[in-house]
Amino acid sequence: MDGGHIAQEDLALFAMHGCSEEESAAVRSHVKECAACRAELEKVSGDLAVVAMSVEQHPLPEGARQRFIERISAAPATLGKATQAPVISIGREQTRRPLVWIPWAAAAALALIAITLGVEINSLNQRLQSESNQLAELAAANAHAQEVLEVLTAPAAQRVVLTAGKAAPAPSARAVYLAARGGLIFQASNLGPLPEHKAYELWVIPANGKAPIPAGLFWPDAAGSANLVLPKLPVGVPAKAFGVTIENAEGSPWPTTPIILAGAAPTS
Amino acid sequence: MEAAGVAPAVDARLLDGVRGGDQQAMTEIFDRYGRMVYSVALRVLQDPGHAEDVMQEVLLKVWREPQTFLEGRGSLGAWLAVMARNRAIDGLRRRRPAETVDDVVLVSKTNLASEFERSSMIEKVRGVLKGLPLEQQASMELAYFEGLSHSEIAARTGDPLGTVKTRIRAALTSLRKALEA
Repeated sequence: MDGGHIAQEDLALFAMHGCSEEESAAVRSHVKECAACRAELEKVSGDLAVVAMSVEQHPLPEGARQRFIERISAAPATLGKATQAPVISIGREQTRRPLVWIPWAAAAALALIAITLGVEINSLNQRLQSESNQLAELAAANAHAQEVLEVLTAPAAQRVVLTAGKAAPAPSARAVYLAARGGLIFQASNLGPLPEHKAYELWVIPANGKAPIPAGLFWPDAAGSANLVLPKLPVGVPAKAFGVTIENAEGSPWPTTPIILAGAAPTS
Repeated sequence: MEAAGVAPAVDARLLDGVRGGDQQAMTEIFDRYGRMVYSVALRVLQDPGHAEDVMQEVLLKVWREPQTFLEGRGSLGAWLAVMARNRAIDGLRRRRPAETVDDVVLVSKTNLASEFERSSMIEKVRGVLKGLPLEQQASMELAYFEGLSHSEIAARTGDPLGTVKTRIRAALTSLRKALEA
């Protein structure tokens, strides 16, 4: 203090946020009552603002403008229209109106928000429960399908063809085909060994009379068993029959040798 | 350069737009003052990344709380410059951001919203600051751009506290004379 007033350099320090909490409180309290110091603080603050504005100008970092635009786009527009918040004015008396309604309004708003959030949470919980149930059903179905597939395709699985009498089992195969999905499971048994550089090739013979569709190559194991599970096939092609030929190991786009196994699909 | 008196009207129009949630108006404010706000923060922080953080924060405050800038109590540019300086100092000194009350730039005799007046004043201030004795320049630098208190400046420079205060007072007086000339 200087003769009952705050020194200019101390007002400047206050304006520069260089005062302690206690000092700042004292300055605020003083300028509220002292018109001269209030006027000087206004001048000092204005002078210092020009000091800030006088710094050497630098270009903005690359992308800063775009980042800012993204941030204001992300901020709800209602925030930009926030209601007038009370701003404390140094040394300027404000006409204060009774604001007793504010706590009630705030409480009402909070209650409304709580109810809305409660309804929303309940709805989300129900959806979560429903989706959890669906997920559990899918997981169970998937586990069952996986088990079936593992039994069908396991190398250690024993494959036995039952025939009448004591005749040696002839080569045979079974195809399960779902045209709507282009899904095929094929199992062959008692196949003879292949010549070198040769492979068995499965064919789907379309019901519409078009050319046979290659459905995959396979090589039997020592017991003469082989599987083809879900080879890549076009969807929605009903089959008239299935056939197997012996082709070169790299496969063929069409059958080049006589069919050694064939089976007609039952007509629906 | 805009004619004197045009800029305040432009700022007022843009702030009206911001209060109505107009993103284009906010983008125009960014284009008018973003570089200056960034430069002030960079001057204090000496780090482009942190300076951009401060610049984004200060300008987002305008977007989110446009009512915190009170027209009639200073120009928008000056308010933003002071906000940037204070936020940067808070960051530099690891302080919690101060209340808005102290950020408000009080009425200046000079109409800093006018581009013409602003440029003129800035040139004057640069000249005055460069012309100050080195000790005064150093004291102002430490006080304004490093946010040190008088006693911290005294401790830093080894000068008596009274000497530091005298230098700052002299620097402010020179500045005032130049601005009022």
